[in-house]
Amino acid sequence: MKRRAYLDFLFIFPCVFAFLMVIIVPFGIGIYYSLTDWNGVNPVINFVGFKNFTGMFREPQFVYSFLATLGYTAINVVLVNVVSFILSLLVTGELRLRNLYRAGFFVPNLIGGIVLGYIWQFVFNNVLVNMGATLGIGFLQKSLIADKNTVIWAMSLVNTWQYAGYIMMIYVAAIQSIPASVLEAASVDGANYFVRIRRILMPMVANAFTITLFLTLTNSFKQYDLNFALTNGGPAMRFMGKAIRASELLAMDIYKTANAANRMAEAQAKAVVFFIVLVVFSVTQVYINKRKEVEA
Amino acid sequence: MRKLLSLVLAAAFLVGLTAVPAMAEDVEVKVFQLKVEINEAITAFAKRYSEATDGVTVTVETLGGGADYGGALKAKMASDSMPDIFMIEGIGGYELWKDYLADMSDADWVKDTDLYYAPEGKVVGFPIGIEGFGLGYNAEILEKAGIDPATLTTLSATKAAFEKLDGMKDELGLDSVVSVGTSVSGGLWWVTSQHVFNAFYAGYLDYNDSSVHDNALKGELDKERLTAFANYLKMLYDYSNPDILVNGNYDAQIAAFAQGKTAFITQGNWIDPSMKQLGATFKMGFVSHNFLEQESTGLYIAPPSYFVVNAKSSPEKQKAAIDFLNHMALTEDGHKYMVEEAGMVPAFKSVKLLPPGDFSKALVEANARGGNYNWYFGQNPDGFNQNTLGPIFELLATDGDVEAFVNDVTAAFQSIAK
Amino acid sequence: MSTAELRDGEVRFREKRRPGLIVGEILVMLLFVIFMLPFALVVINSAKTAKEIVLSAVSLPESWSQIFVNIRAIFTDPTVDYTSAFVDSFVITVISLAVIVFFSAMCAWVLVRNKSRWSTFVFLAFVSAMVIPFQVVMFPLVRWFKILGDAIGLPLLATYHGIVFAYLGFGCSMSVFILHGFIKGVPLELEEAATIDGCSQARTFFEIVLPLLRPAFVTVLILNGIWIWNDYLLPLLILGSAGEVQTIPLAVTAFAGAYVKKWDLILTSALLAMIPIIVLFLFAQRYIIKGMVEGAIK
Repeated sequence: MKRRAYLDFLFIFPCVFAFLMVIIVPFGIGIYYSLTDWNGVNPVINFVGFKNFTGMFREPQFVYSFLATLGYTAINVVLVNVVSFILSLLVTGELRLRNLYRAGFFVPNLIGGIVLGYIWQFVFNNVLVNMGATLGIGFLQKSLIADKNTVIWAMSLVNTWQYAGYIMMIYVAAIQSIPASVLEAASVDGANYFVRIRRILMPMVANAFTITLFLTLTNSFKQYDLNFALTNGGPAMRFMGKAIRASELLAMDIYKTANAANRMAEAQAKAVVFFIVLVVFSVTQVYINKRKEVEA
Repeated sequence: MRKLLSLVLAAAFLVGLTAVPAMAEDVEVKVFQLKVEINEAITAFAKRYSEATDGVTVTVETLGGGADYGGALKAKMASDSMPDIFMIEGIGGYELWKDYLADMSDADWVKDTDLYYAPEGKVVGFPIGIEGFGLGYNAEILEKAGIDPATLTTLSATKAAFEKLDGMKDELGLDSVVSVGTSVSGGLWWVTSQHVFNAFYAGYLDYNDSSVHDNALKGELDKERLTAFANYLKMLYDYSNPDILVNGNYDAQIAAFAQGKTAFITQGNWIDPSMKQLGATFKMGFVSHNFLEQESTGLYIAPPSYFVVNAKSSPEKQKAAIDFLNHMALTEDGHKYMVEEAGMVPAFKSVKLLPPGDFSKALVEANARGGNYNWYFGQNPDGFNQNTLGPIFELLATDGDVEAFVNDVTAAFQSIAK
Repeated sequence: MSTAELRDGEVRFREKRRPGLIVGEILVMLLFVIFMLPFALVVINSAKTAKEIVLSAVSLPESWSQIFVNIRAIFTDPTVDYTSAFVDSFVITVISLAVIVFFSAMCAWVLVRNKSRWSTFVFLAFVSAMVIPFQVVMFPLVRWFKILGDAIGLPLLATYHGIVFAYLGFGCSMSVFILHGFIKGVPLELEEAATIDGCSQARTFFEIVLPLLRPAFVTVLILNGIWIWNDYLLPLLILGSAGEVQTIPLAVTAFAGAYVKKWDLILTSALLAMIPIIVLFLFAQRYIIKGMVEGAIK
């Protein structure tokens, strides 16, 4: 078929143009800004080299946010995947209302992080505290998001609640693509339920793990909406000798550095570091998983 | 080919159609303000003014919930929808918006007040009112406990009152002695890290004596004074309800006081309307934040923010904006709006009306009595009070470590001193 | 399918292990209740006054009709124009989706059928840009939109077309990627036959190719739709928290401002924000789940 070059160009132009204007150009500008003293208001911008990059690692809040984000991501990757894998096994079993269950577990994922964050703030600060007081349950009497030791866990809990149903559906799709004969054969061989899951089912859904781990990893790492609406960074704690916010993840630290403190260039430098770390982590994860897939 | 072009155009048209059309017949003066509590009053006032004034329409937009006003303003600047009248709270906003502030030195309203804002000689800010705070009390509860608020003029007197009330909690139906919140995530950081801390900057000094705050900005803090303040703050914390202190929000803080569950509250006269709404009928007043043994009855009084006129608006709009402010300051209708409808304590001398709320009345009395203290927290760098001091103040509530608090605050000021 | 009752992928609980199934039933039911509990709490507390909520967050409301009072309060709130936020969210989502689907399909089709070095390059650029997190581009984007808007004399910030354009930019890489994968599976013969019949390239696309892409559109629409409807940061930056155009997430945060937390209004507005998407889910559950899962796997 003969194709006309100008028509081809016209066809791809809208997307390519928007893509350039919205992602590529700002990405380039962003890298440049991270090397300047841009403050968002002053039109004069001076080049300062790597000053913004070296400065951030001496800032307790940033170092903490960095570590907290890694911790939060690690917790989520494990928690979300364990919960959703168990859920997927349950809802692919011969349960009566399994379609209802699937839908129910999936629904939280449709609601935005802002709305969910407020709902759960209400649950943690009002409902659970209220219940703790009425039933005399000690650890509930203080809000879990007001305690620096529990706040990251509480956030992970909400994230799991929101995200597990979605990940579950990916496992369900993978499990459903396994021929029944394979599992049948194994059960005839007398292998018990857990052995069958471990030896037969898990290797067969290995490529689903690559996807789900990637999704949970990047999703947790980039968390902002939920963080903002649920805790807005609080409570306070001491770190490297300074008072900082105990649940401020990286994305929020970037935003706050820029907006609350007018330090746009520093925020941009943090964002560049954030980008590099995210790419390194996700590429490493996909690489390891792909190798595992082959071994399996 | 033609079909394709028309489709592309149609799609472009679809997008283009949705652009917001800007229409203007009258001179439209846009006011963008951050005080949710006066939203209804000022909107009604602007409507009355627009109806009475030919060729001018004043519209008011209020940022809901007192969220990030500075950020919203920056977004407006970025999108070329800057308002004609907006608010700044002090030097931080002044520095940021310098180029946008019209000179109002010759405006009529300036002659009727001493509280205009003119950091570099020319008048740029119209005081929206006077606000003040201190340690608010419930007169009924104090009376039942046999405490005369007029005697609470020193640290030891306040301390004794706290101890006495704490011992009578069951009798008086109190949850705790004082209602105070400091949570960063609950949005109450400003109660302590701005207002209560202002006692450290200004307490026991002349109204215009900014030496303590000036030194703080240079990184020099008087350790003894700061420790005394920290001990006072810790006392407030110790006698408060921990649920509200580290967990609560504004509603919880004022509700506890309005329901008579606490005898004191660390708030200002802006809670008058809420007190009325929550059905609080008891008498209320303020005592000073006494963190030293020296006698003091002073309250912390200043215009919390100023209306400024956008110097980049068209000359007609600027003139219409200043006319509107003159009307607010100098006419009976304006006074009615400020005092009766918005419940503010006006900064203008020609105003004869008395505000309805108890706390506001207390301010008027204190103003007449003299010996009050200025506000300095608005002069700290943008974001410093919330992001740097906020967590330090919250931390004192969890670990109670006064020495660490003093060191943290000192280090925080040293980090911005240059 | 190997046996009559057991379909592919069904993991057998039964065969002599009846107790296992019961444990599973109980466990899943328990989890289901826990998952649904927050929604129940939202509904219950949406029907309470602020005072009732403070007194007890778990008790049932005194009168369910309070929910209408709260809804009225939300739609008449003087500082938050919820009605227009609703309309704006709807308009922005629908137009963005139309634009994304239409242009991405055009783009993906050319990238598949035009086998040249530059089409591979463009495709790879789209794919690799998917790793760029929003945080890296968000601040420069606002500044760039301002510069761009000034240059062409058409403001891009705080306008519908500005945010739609931004959504096209952010949404097209994944959409092109998904459609690219789908188009690869569409036999070329159909298009060739059309060309022989005298169809122009444009007509071939609109009359032959576009209808064939319908199944893939579902995926693209759903993935982008849920994202755009719930998105917070991009509207916050492009539209501003006090601009004339507002979306629902922005309006919800306005009820939960830094100074005052009106739980009765926050929860009711959260409920209102959830209802359209849950209703849509009830009707199109199969497509939504399929769309989202396929979007992830590809």
